[in-house]
Amino acid sequence: MADTVEAKRSGADGDAGKEAERGDELAVGGKILRSRLFLGTGRFPDPLALKEAIAASGAEVLTFSIRRVQLEDLAGDAVLKHVDHDRHVFLPNTSGARTAEEAVRIARLARAAGAGNWVKVEISVADETLLPDPAETLRATELLAKEGFAVFAYCSDDPVLCRRLAEAGAAAVMPGGSPIGSGLGILNPYNLALIAEQVRVPVIVDAGIGAPSDAALAMELGASAVLVNTAVARARDPAAMAAAFRRAVEAGRLARLAGRIPKRKYATASSGHEELISPPYRVGGVPL
Amino acid sequence: MTGAGRGHAAGTGIGRGRAVAVRGRTGGETDVLVVGGGVIGLSCALACRWRGLGVTLLEKGVTGGQASGAAAGLLAPFSENGEQPDAFFQLCRESFAMFGDWLDRLREWTDRDVELVRCGTVHVAFHEADEWPMTVRARWQREHGVRAEWVGAARLRELEPSLCPDAVGALFYPDEAHLRAPVYAEALREACERAGVVIVERANGLQIRLTGDAVVLESGAGESGPTGEGGATGKFGGGDAGSGAGNRKEGPVAGRWEAGRLILCTGAWSAGWQEALGIRIPVHPIRGQICSFPVPFGRVRRIVFSPQGYAVGKKNGTLVCGASEDVAGFDASVTEEGIGRLVRMGRRLFPELADVAPCHAWAGLRPATRDGWPLIGPVNERVFCAFGHYRNGVLLSPVTAAWAAAWAAGGEWKAEKTGSGRRAETVGGGRRAAREGDAKRTDRDTDVWAPGVPAFRAAFDPRRFTPAATAAT
Repeated sequence: MADTVEAKRSGADGDAGKEAERGDELAVGGKILRSRLFLGTGRFPDPLALKEAIAASGAEVLTFSIRRVQLEDLAGDAVLKHVDHDRHVFLPNTSGARTAEEAVRIARLARAAGAGNWVKVEISVADETLLPDPAETLRATELLAKEGFAVFAYCSDDPVLCRRLAEAGAAAVMPGGSPIGSGLGILNPYNLALIAEQVRVPVIVDAGIGAPSDAALAMELGASAVLVNTAVARARDPAAMAAAFRRAVEAGRLARLAGRIPKRKYATASSGHEELISPPYRVGGVPL
Repeated sequence: MTGAGRGHAAGTGIGRGRAVAVRGRTGGETDVLVVGGGVIGLSCALACRWRGLGVTLLEKGVTGGQASGAAAGLLAPFSENGEQPDAFFQLCRESFAMFGDWLDRLREWTDRDVELVRCGTVHVAFHEADEWPMTVRARWQREHGVRAEWVGAARLRELEPSLCPDAVGALFYPDEAHLRAPVYAEALREACERAGVVIVERANGLQIRLTGDAVVLESGAGESGPTGEGGATGKFGGGDAGSGAGNRKEGPVAGRWEAGRLILCTGAWSAGWQEALGIRIPVHPIRGQICSFPVPFGRVRRIVFSPQGYAVGKKNGTLVCGASEDVAGFDASVTEEGIGRLVRMGRRLFPELADVAPCHAWAGLRPATRDGWPLIGPVNERVFCAFGHYRNGVLLSPVTAAWAAAWAAGGEWKAEKTGSGRRAETVGGGRRAAREGDAKRTDRDTDVWAPGVPAFRAAFDPRRFTPAATAAT
């Protein structure tokens, strides 16, 4: 893709970044998305904050907890009534489920209520970490994929598990950077880079993102998208934080496309002549 | 505001404020000005008065007319804080703990029964998947001394027999309570008057001016000022509100008031003070619509929450169902869609309401803030903010009042003590205030209602949205 950037730049004397982003849509679950920032709708202080944050984030995909909404009338739900249903894609989640069967039942309820065939499988263990249960998540992914759902599997940042989920039919894997709501950021960037490299479906980093820099890092490491909720909803100014995340995700994505320099142990003078005799290098050995 | 004037106002109540107001500032009797006559303003005024301070309260319309009169009066600190034991949880819990003493004290000053019902709350689960998030929530809350438990379907049936049969369980808080918010506002008002707070209504378009050693409020009578913004004037007639607001229809009051300290309790109308105070005040109105069904008291035993709203049975034979959260600016009217949702929610929870028509519908404007937490605290040595309480004004009224009064009495900002402070020996039977040049606290302070200032107050600093101000703090 670095080549593409170069080619486009020679054609347009304007903003090379914009050129790079053009045509950089994300295809996932049968849809084409322009925004790589997914936003959760929970925990906002009030509906105006929610509306403003959605607008500022530019997010197209919004998540909500199936058990929290009024399935009989989604458009009249206490929270979802504040969202423009035509302009957004809903990603309902199964939060609260403890087993694969429970998650399957919840997902079916949502689909029957007209919430579409996307579902985020969220099966967490019942302790203070709320970490996703890998065995139940894998099982639920298999079951729901067979039923024709586009399954977004929320999981731990284990490269092997993510591969297994993709093989089981997940439309995307959603590894957590750290425990949900913790704001601890990306605790294992090595794993995340490996997942992005190895897994053949989009990788959407979910959970634990605390600041825009975390989101930028996730994108630089090769994630296809980032999902945030608490970091925006509980910020002092949710709309401003949403705008910051939008820029961070865009920056991280652009940086990924642009190709970062490799890390080196020693200094290299930026004003020297070394570049003239050094061969062009690939970015850290990671194919772009 | 002579002593006679104060007695006059105290004895005969509302409407007499006009006579006092046109006379305006009359030499040194008012220590504290309070702007805003909702439950927060009335509570702050009362707590200041109980500390022996001379208090004048200015209200742009009538007291208890906005969010206070529209509220369902829930005292539900644990329902409101399901996430973590943060500063807001502490604030709510502290205020809840103060409520008993606060109402006892209030009863010494008014005969009105605020219809407190300590019935507990059930958060009804309709999904099996609700059980463990509620259990997790109960677990951390119990670690902080909250009585909270998950109850299964059978036990829930005992707790709330008329609830719909498909509820799978509930999170039960046995200690939560509710009161009649409009009556509470009336009781606070009556107590204020009897304690000698001067209440001035229809003081619209107030402008703040800080002078060297005082704060001055001026009303140009009808000029648009911060409190005049929007013009929503308590359109919840026919609702739960029982005040005689309709009798007070005289024109706006012009005047000039001056005191050493000012407490702003202006709810959803607070953003207009930004320029005068030099801080960012991200407060906006979120409309809450409520309706009620005629249901005998006791038929619905608990406060019942669902993800779509709540229902609470009042002693006046109504089941109050609330509340929408609408982005509608300062429009405080009810909508067919909004009330329709609540009616469906009520009937979903209680099938026996299927053929019952709602009897009342009303709306109010909650003061929402950008981060969901109120703005409470001083912004400088003369001005204290107490607004942005959103859904929790009634619940947070005692702690807010105690905090504001502690500040107004010089308890918090000793260094800035101006010497204008006065302190009464007691507040009973007229005001026996004595000048107190050295501003030292006396043992007699223990006679007044004077809980301390919350230790976690920094979280509610009204300057937190103003980058320069927070950087300097």
